[in-house]
Amino acid sequence: MSKLGVYDVAVRYGKVPALTDVTLTIEEGERLFISGPNGAGKSSLLKAICGAVATSHGRIEVDGDLLTGRTPEAIARLGLTMVPEGRDIFGTLTVEENLRVGTGIRRDKSAVENDIEEVYENFAILGERRHANAGALSGGQQQMLAIGRGLMTNPKLMLVDEPSLGLAPNIVDQVYETLVNLQKDRGLTLIIVEQSSARAARVGGRMVLLRGGSVVGDGDAKKFAESDVLNEAYFGTDKAEASS
Amino acid sequence: MAQTHKQKRLSAWSTPVLLILILLVFTLLVTMLGDKSLARMAAQTMIRVTFVVGLWVFVGNSGVVSFGHAGYMAIGAYCSAWLTLKPQMKGLFLPDLWPFLANAEWHVLPAAVVSGLLAAFVALVSGAAILRLTGIAASIATFAFLAIVYTVYSSWEGVTGATSSVVGLARYADQWVTFGWASVTVLAAAWYASSASGLALRASREDEVAASASGINMYRHRLISLVVSAFFTGVAGALFGHSLGVLNPSSFYLGVTFITLAMLVVGGIGSLTGAVTGVLVLSIMIESLVRMERGVEFGETTLALPTGAQEILIGVIMILVLILRPAGLTGGRELRLRIGGR
Amino acid sequence: MNAIPQLFFDAMSLGGIYAMAALGIALIFGVMNLVNFAHGEYIAFCVFALIVPSTDAVAVMFLGKAPAIVLIPILLSIGAAVAVASEFFVFRHMRNATPVAMMISSFALGFVIQNSLLAVYGSRPKAISLWPELNTPVSIVGASVPLLQIIVILTTLAVVVTLALLLKKTKIGLEMRAAAENFTMARLLGVKANVVITGAFALSGALAAAVAMIMATQTGVADIRMGGQIMLVAFIATVIGGLGSLPGAVAAGFLIGAASVILQGFLPLEARPFRDAFLYTLVIVSLLLRPQGLFASNSAKPRV
Repeated sequence: MSKLGVYDVAVRYGKVPALTDVTLTIEEGERLFISGPNGAGKSSLLKAICGAVATSHGRIEVDGDLLTGRTPEAIARLGLTMVPEGRDIFGTLTVEENLRVGTGIRRDKSAVENDIEEVYENFAILGERRHANAGALSGGQQQMLAIGRGLMTNPKLMLVDEPSLGLAPNIVDQVYETLVNLQKDRGLTLIIVEQSSARAARVGGRMVLLRGGSVVGDGDAKKFAESDVLNEAYFGTDKAEASS
Repeated sequence: MAQTHKQKRLSAWSTPVLLILILLVFTLLVTMLGDKSLARMAAQTMIRVTFVVGLWVFVGNSGVVSFGHAGYMAIGAYCSAWLTLKPQMKGLFLPDLWPFLANAEWHVLPAAVVSGLLAAFVALVSGAAILRLTGIAASIATFAFLAIVYTVYSSWEGVTGATSSVVGLARYADQWVTFGWASVTVLAAAWYASSASGLALRASREDEVAASASGINMYRHRLISLVVSAFFTGVAGALFGHSLGVLNPSSFYLGVTFITLAMLVVGGIGSLTGAVTGVLVLSIMIESLVRMERGVEFGETTLALPTGAQEILIGVIMILVLILRPAGLTGGRELRLRIGGR
Repeated sequence: MNAIPQLFFDAMSLGGIYAMAALGIALIFGVMNLVNFAHGEYIAFCVFALIVPSTDAVAVMFLGKAPAIVLIPILLSIGAAVAVASEFFVFRHMRNATPVAMMISSFALGFVIQNSLLAVYGSRPKAISLWPELNTPVSIVGASVPLLQIIVILTTLAVVVTLALLLKKTKIGLEMRAAAENFTMARLLGVKANVVITGAFALSGALAAAVAMIMATQTGVADIRMGGQIMLVAFIATVIGGLGSLPGAVAAGFLIGAASVILQGFLPLEARPFRDAFLYTLVIVSLLLRPQGLFASNSAKPRV
């Protein structure tokens, strides 16, 4: 059984379709990049998975549990966490309070303090500023905090929407390094929206290409970076198939 | 075959005509079938049509909910009283009126028009400030405006009689006079909605950013619609005074604000048809409930609803409509004939 | 003369009432963007819960007869229950509605509550006596101040501190603050929307009950219309404070209390009946100057 299964999923905002018949599965421990031009439906797909937008058609399953009709808070309880685009940290809360918001769903309360210290070990700057208002952090620090906050829910599956958005390249490297290390340590399943195929290829993993709300390619990120499928996906009209 | 442009225009104009016909049938039926009290109810209903359709000109087109229109109504009502009351009466009850007003003894029609104009003028001034705000802040500011008008009119002893009622107004506003004004209001509302200003405003209601990007000056059109809107609510106020013969500031406060908003919401804020439908449906309902509050005889026993039951039921209906049919009974659609095409 | 301390106590105690009522409104707005016009009627409901239902002019105390130690928690629970019930029956069904639709339905709900009180208790104001001994004056820094004023000021402080602790130190408090800032994100982190919203309504209702007890003691009257007046002022305090900002609501409540006491004290005699008109004009002016609220930081995203 796949960790996550998305079958024939469609999402529409009013009359405007954002996703049409998207099907993809991801196995436990896998790292999946989702790429595609603006408006391809990348964020909509992530939002549909975590329950922030309703699907108009299709099924989404985590470990075989159907997500349709569940509230976002119920989905979070299945071990799925979202690190949204623009990070959406709680600016009026302190760094540490941000980390604690998601701990309400955990059964292992005793491990919470330990995990907070672990986040501070991974992200030293967060530890230094634990009592500062999160709104005062820099963009890169906020991205770290958003990831740390997601980790505090003790997830098995983590969705990260455009972690590189608005960050300097060296910070992006740092963010990816952390994500890869976390995945190794915790056996996380990762889904990352990433515009840059070169970046995805460097980090390594599988890549799914979206265009106009549909999957137009699926394969190793490196192969995408080498071929011109991407160009076609961004600018062309034909459906591109990646040779995986 | 699709409708031509001209046919579409004709079809759009069928809306006010049909609505006026409905009002006419309503007034005729009530006059023929009913007693004096029903005729009064018809006049009250037509005044509410004038008010609610006037309110719709602003709320329906701009999408900003106004709690302040009862204030414009009060301004119109008192203005007409100042202009038409006998000078001796005014000397006695409203001693501080300016000489021009104290000696005025106008005919009721120009008085109604000037009352509307005064309300429109106040709307121009108050709106110039309030409409710089958007969304909920604007609605709250209209609430503050209502409270200001209420405070002033219920405290200005020598000019408005404060909380004691102004009496002796000529009771000329019967069901036909009010029907006439209601019809004029419906026509004007339809005209405004199809005017360049009304169209621009509705476009901006759908999407503020896009509208301002396309060069629509939202503020100006909101202000225009508020001024037009206040004119008719002012006239409705004048008619209100001349239908009951008595004025009191408390008639123009939260109660009337609530009931007229309820009518607009129940009928559907999105359309002129909705405004008229809401008034008719709720007015009929209120009248039946009022009769039931007075008591209905079942053989030996008289069953009566407790006081307040009418408002409770109207409130519950309003909430149910908001939950179940947020676009109101008409769902924002207009009643219209399809002319030509198919 | 001791006019200045006297004015100070008047302003503080009036401001305290406004601040508590404004807090109740700000809590709800913060969590679900609802401008709750029914809040004033929660207050009126709690006042009338003190007396035996009847339309007679003379009120017979019912709950009001109970000793304070029993009365206070019961009335706070009644307030909380009314607010929670209104969420359950009305606002829960409007989660996807626009803020304007929710605002209108709260206006309608307020009317339903008010007229229900009217149907049960009649429209005449009733004299009630709740803790009349609190109105005995005591002398402080040369000013003669009713004991109640001191109690109001202390109560307000206690309420504000308790609320701050609750929001700062408890799990539900943390979740409420997170939800107030970004509801969707909080839910994505597993914060239960219904729990947070119900919690906010319960707190808001309890605040209404606290205001009700103070007003009942202070005025000695139960009036159907009392909710509307206090609601309007509290509401304005919430707006001036920056809708949804709790510290802003408290500060603005005190500011309005001070402004109305000062206007009352210094306006020329013939202008005094128009005091509220000046007050509401100040509100419009302050909205125009700072639509995001006087106490919201400039960088705060506009919530209105």
